[in-house]
Amino acid sequence: MEKITRKKGMARLLELAFTKKALIAGSTVLAALSAVISFVPFIAVYFIIKELVLNINNLGALNGEYMMSLGWLAGGGAIAAIALNYGALMCSHIAAFKTLYKLKINFAGHIAALPLGFHSSNSTGKLRKVVDENIEKLEGFIAHQFPDLVSTFTTPLAAAVLLFIFDWRLGLCCFAPLILLFAIQTIFTGGKRGRETLKKYQDTLEDMNNAAVEYVRGVSVVKAFNQTVFSFRRFHSAIKAYGDWALRYTKTFKPALVIFLAVLNNLYLFLMPLIILLSGKVTDYPAFVLSSIFYIIFSMALPGLFMKIMYVSQGGKQIADGIERMDKVLDTPVLPETDKPKTAKDYTVWFQNVAFDYYEDSKKPDSKDTGGETSALNDVSFSAKQGEITALVGPSGSGKSTIAHLIPRFYDVTHGSIKIGGADIRDMQGEYLMSIVGFVFQDIFLFKQSIADNILVGDKNASRQRVIEAAKAAECHEFIEKLPKGYDTVIGSNGVHLSGGERQRLVIARAILKNAPILVLDEATAFADPENEWKIQLALSELMRNKTVIIIAHRLSTVRGADKIIVVDKGKIAEEGTHEALVSAGGRYSRMWEQYTRAADWSISKGGQRHV
Amino acid sequence: MFKKFFGLTDKGAKDLKKAVAACIAGNLTLIFPAVIVTQILQTLTEPLRGGAIDTGRLWLLLGLGALSAVIYGLVYSVEYDNTYTVSYRESTAIRIEVAEHMRRLPLSFFNRKDLSELTTNMMADCSTVEHVLSHVLPQLIANCVTVTLICALLTVYDWRMSLAMFCTLPVAAAVIIISKKLQAKLGERHARAKLEVAEKTQEYLEGVKVVKAFGLSGEKSQALKSALNRMMKEAITFESIVGSFITVASMIVQVGSGIVVLTGVTLLTGGSLDVISLLIFTLLSVKIYGPFLSVLALFPELMYFTLSTKRLRRLRAETPMTGDESAELPNYTVEIKNVSFAYNKDDVIRGLSLTIPQNGVTALVGPSGSGKTTVSRLIARFFDVREGEILIGGRNIREIDPERLMRYMSFVFQDVVLFNDTVINNIRIGKKDASDEEVFAAARLARCDEFIREMPNGYETVIGENGSTLSGGERQRVSIARALLKNAPIVLLDEATASLDPENETKIQEAISELVKGRTVIVIAHRLRTVVGADKIAVLEDGVLAEEGTGAELLAKNGLFARLYKIQNESLGWGVGAKKTLR
Repeated sequence: MEKITRKKGMARLLELAFTKKALIAGSTVLAALSAVISFVPFIAVYFIIKELVLNINNLGALNGEYMMSLGWLAGGGAIAAIALNYGALMCSHIAAFKTLYKLKINFAGHIAALPLGFHSSNSTGKLRKVVDENIEKLEGFIAHQFPDLVSTFTTPLAAAVLLFIFDWRLGLCCFAPLILLFAIQTIFTGGKRGRETLKKYQDTLEDMNNAAVEYVRGVSVVKAFNQTVFSFRRFHSAIKAYGDWALRYTKTFKPALVIFLAVLNNLYLFLMPLIILLSGKVTDYPAFVLSSIFYIIFSMALPGLFMKIMYVSQGGKQIADGIERMDKVLDTPVLPETDKPKTAKDYTVWFQNVAFDYYEDSKKPDSKDTGGETSALNDVSFSAKQGEITALVGPSGSGKSTIAHLIPRFYDVTHGSIKIGGADIRDMQGEYLMSIVGFVFQDIFLFKQSIADNILVGDKNASRQRVIEAAKAAECHEFIEKLPKGYDTVIGSNGVHLSGGERQRLVIARAILKNAPILVLDEATAFADPENEWKIQLALSELMRNKTVIIIAHRLSTVRGADKIIVVDKGKIAEEGTHEALVSAGGRYSRMWEQYTRAADWSISKGGQRHV
Repeated sequence: MFKKFFGLTDKGAKDLKKAVAACIAGNLTLIFPAVIVTQILQTLTEPLRGGAIDTGRLWLLLGLGALSAVIYGLVYSVEYDNTYTVSYRESTAIRIEVAEHMRRLPLSFFNRKDLSELTTNMMADCSTVEHVLSHVLPQLIANCVTVTLICALLTVYDWRMSLAMFCTLPVAAAVIIISKKLQAKLGERHARAKLEVAEKTQEYLEGVKVVKAFGLSGEKSQALKSALNRMMKEAITFESIVGSFITVASMIVQVGSGIVVLTGVTLLTGGSLDVISLLIFTLLSVKIYGPFLSVLALFPELMYFTLSTKRLRRLRAETPMTGDESAELPNYTVEIKNVSFAYNKDDVIRGLSLTIPQNGVTALVGPSGSGKTTVSRLIARFFDVREGEILIGGRNIREIDPERLMRYMSFVFQDVVLFNDTVINNIRIGKKDASDEEVFAAARLARCDEFIREMPNGYETVIGENGSTLSGGERQRVSIARALLKNAPIVLLDEATASLDPENETKIQEAISELVKGRTVIVIAHRLRTVVGADKIAVLEDGVLAEEGTGAELLAKNGLFARLYKIQNESLGWGVGAKKTLR
């Protein structure tokens, strides 16, 4: 696996900021100009004061017009600085929103390309937080902090030039404490403790978000089992932990911030000793007083200009940490795509000595939730011939679903190979593979979009006519017509609730529309009431016609007529053959069949006794 | 006032007042340096007016300045505690309160909202409140107060100059107030676009298998793409329009510094103003607008804040169900009398009357959409009926506190919900003070002891988000163990045996047989054969009772039940197979 080396921290943020170069360059120029011009009012005021001081004993000699134009210069300078700043912010905001859009879409694309193992070890809450918060926060950096950063660099530069023009000794007195302040700040925030606290703060925040998703999802259970929110320890303690760490995090910065602000707002104090000491010795007193006044005014102007710097370095770290979380996901390698794609000659699926292990595939040392996952595969070989029905049966956890998930390359095999029509699926283009394999999964998933859109997932270019035909074939046209807006009814809106069986038939309609030559059915008849079940079976029969079908079923009667039944147990193939052959063989399958026929006769009644 | 307007807790409202006071103190201590600086300037310019330089006085001023810096540091330190510390405590309290409140809401509420909206509500809105309480609100209020105070002081000192200095503020304020409506509208649109992105992202993540299998990744997912695109456009519009109003307002404010010099010079040459006063006003004019400008800059944040608090308030305004918290049920016969109910507009249950006898198994059957699940939910008072009444042991459940009512009921739902926690804690949800031994016993009865012990850490194994590491049958058995542990007299089973392999199914059937022993059981089943031996079967169709009786009676009657039973037996015989044809 190749490892991409990424920039980290501030460098990475800057790299992302420059996604939209023109806008960011515009923003840089405008922000720098604004920073320089923001000194104009102070200079104007200095000249006003100079005029006043020089004529202090003869006010009649004051040049009124000169002073007024200086007054307007002060106001005009401030206005110009604001206008330029607005321009800079607009450029940076547009750049930011465009960049966010791009990053989010890319992120969504990337996570879909990751093996499914990634998704079972990373909760949706965690991933959504990357999109909703971590990437979103970058807006703050590009739109606000970046222009601020520019003025952060421009301001001291402009200030330094101005400060050292008049009197380098006073200039030094103004500047030295500033440098000291930065040193203090870096020690407090950049230190190991500061970074660790920040990390912990972010972790607890993530934890709280995950707990929230779970809490809302589980609310029905919580209600049903009389759990108060306090006994609902996880969410409660996640909220608490976050609050505590947030507090600790802010406390880390307190001393630095207090010193920083106290010094910054009183910079003139550093000038005073020198002014007092020099005042008795200078020859040209008026000139000395004027430059002293200049520095005092300046020392008062600096806090406003430098406050920005503080926020840049503080917020930047938080954002950089969030981006690191995004990068961590982006750095998770996707299933490799081939350069020389092959296509299938026919539609027979071959498993050749396939071994697979979830742990090895996901490689997540931090995933703690790997509990009862035992469905790894070991030396699985079989073929599912074109035009035939191959059934996979076996106890839950035996690896049936894993086999089904390997065919669309949700994961890659660890050993051996899977071939379709003679070509290894790893040598096929992802899109091509998806176009020849259709699925009906156990867990039905419908989008909160219109019925038609949900069916169109199977083939987004299909005409309405074809959608309706597919729906008819899947036995769902009838109930769709009864919905308030027919095919345009949005699922989940206005109390449109579809039953399990109806949802399942919609999913089948999707697969019918797709009409792929290979079909994988994972427990497609679960969750159905009798009437629905019958219709689903009709729909499935329509779907399976003339295809390579690989079907997983719990109800053995369903697959009795399959061309080949493969019994999977503990990740291996235990038996293989037709129903009749397997029953008479007297092995694992025949025991399952016996158990099945017994279960089918079970019924519930008073006292829990069995009626046979 | 704070409490109501910002949706704070009692303590939070009190703390906010303290925070504002601390901020005002902080702002005011910043005036000292300004005063000291003018004094310094006056002393320094003395020799120019023919006097001598007073070095002693300068040292004194330096000392005072240092003192004021220390005071500022102390005051700011208090301000820091009162804003940041307090805000985190407050947001923690609000989060817990909201979570607690949500738990009390009827399930009908959760039916209306979806997962992502609710979590956004709870998490993001609380974060906004947190941020505004620490970074925005106290400073904002304090700045307003400080500006007013300084304005008053300066007016006393020289009203003409003060007027010149502040005459632009009302104009700027007017611009903001006039534009407020438009800003609010844009803000709401932006927030809605954001929410939609959250929704679509959640959906995309939940449906990642479909996304992968049908090639809908990234830009190919039309819904996600257009939601993101909309949000980008809304954000740009919002920022540029709101930003332009604030910019214009700030510019208007800054015109003030020009007016100050203009007025000052006129007055000075007219002889009615001394040089030092002009000096002070000129110096102040570069700094004084700072707080006011920051009020303007903080304004958009406040918009988000009011949106968030509005949503939080709306959530808290949802009324929880109440009732007698100490109700005792003399027996467990359930009587449904003339009940009608609608999730939305159309009734899904229409004038249903049905008696469910104590200590027996009653099955609810019928085609999908007939209202079976709804009836079970109504019995559990997840919803209140629209018309009619439901009695348990002769008491109307409407008058019983839902939590109290829950003590009498156990559930095994069709969709099992498990938590990302250890297995033992997931079972213990049934009875929170159960001993380990009790949990093990329940697990054994529910036939899950064996597979749990095979897991890496046994009962202490963490089972992933919504129990993702367990198979369907295992999840179902864990939920049965939960119900067994709860040991309630009424048991509701909703399709507990769906989607299982034979081995699991046998085990679950055994587990259920344990669960229903000697209890009042209401079972919803699709597989009619499993309920044909029930004491009573109620057949529902389109929200009305079509038939009731024992299995044998109903089969003999040859009505809906008999018909469904026949269809099912046929479909049970269905199977795949190239050679087989369908009837």
